[in-house]
Amino acid sequence: MRLTTTPYLRIRRPSPTTAEFTVSTLPPLTPSLRMLLLSITLLRTVLSLQLVLILYTLWASRSSPPSSSSPLSLLLAHLHHALTSPSPPARLASYLLAHIPGYALAPACAGALYALARARVHDAESLLVLRGLGVQTSGGRFIPTGKIRDVLVNEAFRGFEVRTYLVVVVDGEDDVVVVFPRLLPGARIVERVWRGVRECLYEEGKRGWEGEGGGRGIEGGWRC
Amino acid sequence: MPRRTYNIAMVCDFFFPQPGGVESHIYQLASKLIDRGHKVIVITHAYEDRKGIRYLTNGIKVFHVPFAIIYRSATFPTVFSFFPLFRNIIIRERIEIVHGHASFSSLCQEAILHARTMGLRTVYTDHSLFGFADAASILNNKLLKFTLSDVDHVICVSHTCKENTVLRAALDPLMVSVIPNAVVSENFKPLPRPEPNSSIFNQHPLPAHPLGPNDTLTIVVISRLFYNKGTDLLTAAIPRILENHPNTRFIIAGSGPKAIDLEQMIEQNVLQDKVEMLGPVRHENVRDVMVRGHIYLHPSLTEAFGTVIVEAASCGLYVVCTAVGGIPEVLPSHMTVFAQPEENDLVAATGRAIAALRANKVRTEKFHEQVKAMYSWTNVAKRTERVYRGISGDLTNNEFYGYDVGNEGHWSATRGRNFALIDRLKRYYGCGVWAGKLFCLCVVIDYLIFVFLEWFWPRDQIDFARDWPRKRPPESDDEE
Repeated sequence: MRLTTTPYLRIRRPSPTTAEFTVSTLPPLTPSLRMLLLSITLLRTVLSLQLVLILYTLWASRSSPPSSSSPLSLLLAHLHHALTSPSPPARLASYLLAHIPGYALAPACAGALYALARARVHDAESLLVLRGLGVQTSGGRFIPTGKIRDVLVNEAFRGFEVRTYLVVVVDGEDDVVVVFPRLLPGARIVERVWRGVRECLYEEGKRGWEGEGGGRGIEGGWRC
Repeated sequence: MPRRTYNIAMVCDFFFPQPGGVESHIYQLASKLIDRGHKVIVITHAYEDRKGIRYLTNGIKVFHVPFAIIYRSATFPTVFSFFPLFRNIIIRERIEIVHGHASFSSLCQEAILHARTMGLRTVYTDHSLFGFADAASILNNKLLKFTLSDVDHVICVSHTCKENTVLRAALDPLMVSVIPNAVVSENFKPLPRPEPNSSIFNQHPLPAHPLGPNDTLTIVVISRLFYNKGTDLLTAAIPRILENHPNTRFIIAGSGPKAIDLEQMIEQNVLQDKVEMLGPVRHENVRDVMVRGHIYLHPSLTEAFGTVIVEAASCGLYVVCTAVGGIPEVLPSHMTVFAQPEENDLVAATGRAIAALRANKVRTEKFHEQVKAMYSWTNVAKRTERVYRGISGDLTNNEFYGYDVGNEGHWSATRGRNFALIDRLKRYYGCGVWAGKLFCLCVVIDYLIFVFLEWFWPRDQIDFARDWPRKRPPESDDEE
């Protein structure tokens, strides 16, 4: 069983003037895959908690034990006692603390925590097209129709490859906006999205892109 | 039966925006091949402001490969590192034939090696002549031998160039074709003819540049001012020519390290009013400089083809040139006066040319039409296409190489360039005692990289790029 697939496209059209193009690497959810994903989530939670505990132990060993009797410090003292009582995670934390100096342990834990929070098994990116309003990328960027100069397909070098990608040319900006920048789906998907976007945005029928310059010109991209 | 069309990749380090002869050769050839229904892409390296994938007129797709992005140092030798990207481009664009240009281009040599490893047909065009004696040529000849040991066909721009290449790379002469350069004759038109009744003397027929007995005759020289272009010869000859023919002027265009010698000569002989130095001239302005003169002087010491003398003749200039390299093959004798590459003979030849023009014996006004009929890129493309058909097996061996090529066994050993690794290694092994083993090592490494790439980036996961709409190949002109 595979956790990811090659990027595939899902198109949702809630109304004739709206279209959402989602590129995702999530394979179809079978029960076994659900179980696997759940266990991965559990594992991540446990790992994160362990890292938090290590960080807490580190902090507690540096600062003096709470002495005042305010409710907050009482709570902290209880918590401290509960956490430092000999349970396996606490033993691991104090073992690590005894063997690795704090200045190395703290950034490593923080980094691992950040990676655990950010890492995702699947990725999905989407493009929402609203006729008359504009397009919104999954990065949260909204580009109003008036500022879209063109939507086109281009090719570029990336590492050891040539990749096809979809860009939105925005009026008054030097850089173009790349759609699906992380997943960079293949040419077939890019082309379908490109057609869909133009159809939805400019009401171009099937004939618009077929050559006779319907609507707007395509500069630099290809014309099929 | 419709002719088969090919997907061709031209590979060269030299391409636009950098100006030059090889650059425009590739562009013109690609453009005309597209007119004939083929698909052509150009692979070159990235220039400062030219990176990524671009389209030129006629749908030529140009890949400016950015090595500087893969490596921080731009000049890093990239023998094998170019392979992954090259393979990706070749598969995306469904290339069948890789055509490399110019022997100084390392990109071209790498591309030919990789293309053979990938099992593609390769053609190589040589644009220059080289010596055999000095260390640089020996190294360069070894490199050329490496490239050409496993190329399917070689194209040279002149018969002299073919001879040179055959000797340098120890090739079978049947593997080498001669296809000359061409000029875009529309860009090199002579000045419009004056009205017949506007001249004082009623001459019939009217000469292209009606020269009165006291009119000044202008000699044009356009070349980069380097040693191999014969600038020293020019420096020695100019004072003597001007002494013998006082009513003569020189216009010299071009720049280079030898410009200072020319300026010294002008100062020493006080020729400021007779010799005009224009400095570097852009290619599109060359015609405007040429039509100011009557004679074109070309003192080059070595030249594979000499496109510039064709351009001069197309502008209606009488050509005086040294009989070196491929130059004698270029123009018919009534357009040229040949000289040995030495001072006395050059002065004498120029004198003969001046006398012939003063006597109005040379019909320079007809040169343009004649050159136009001789040199066209369409014809070059047609002949290049025949080479492609020959190496792809669309022409039979007899048709392509001639009927008297000897027995089949000898044939497959030298010319039937099959892709089996062992046969390729055999060909490379014969390159020399040490070089042969080194070359074999390179080929084996290249092959291993290829196997790795096939596994790591499987072929079926690479998308095909969309083609530019193809032109319909012309029906009528088959074999001439």
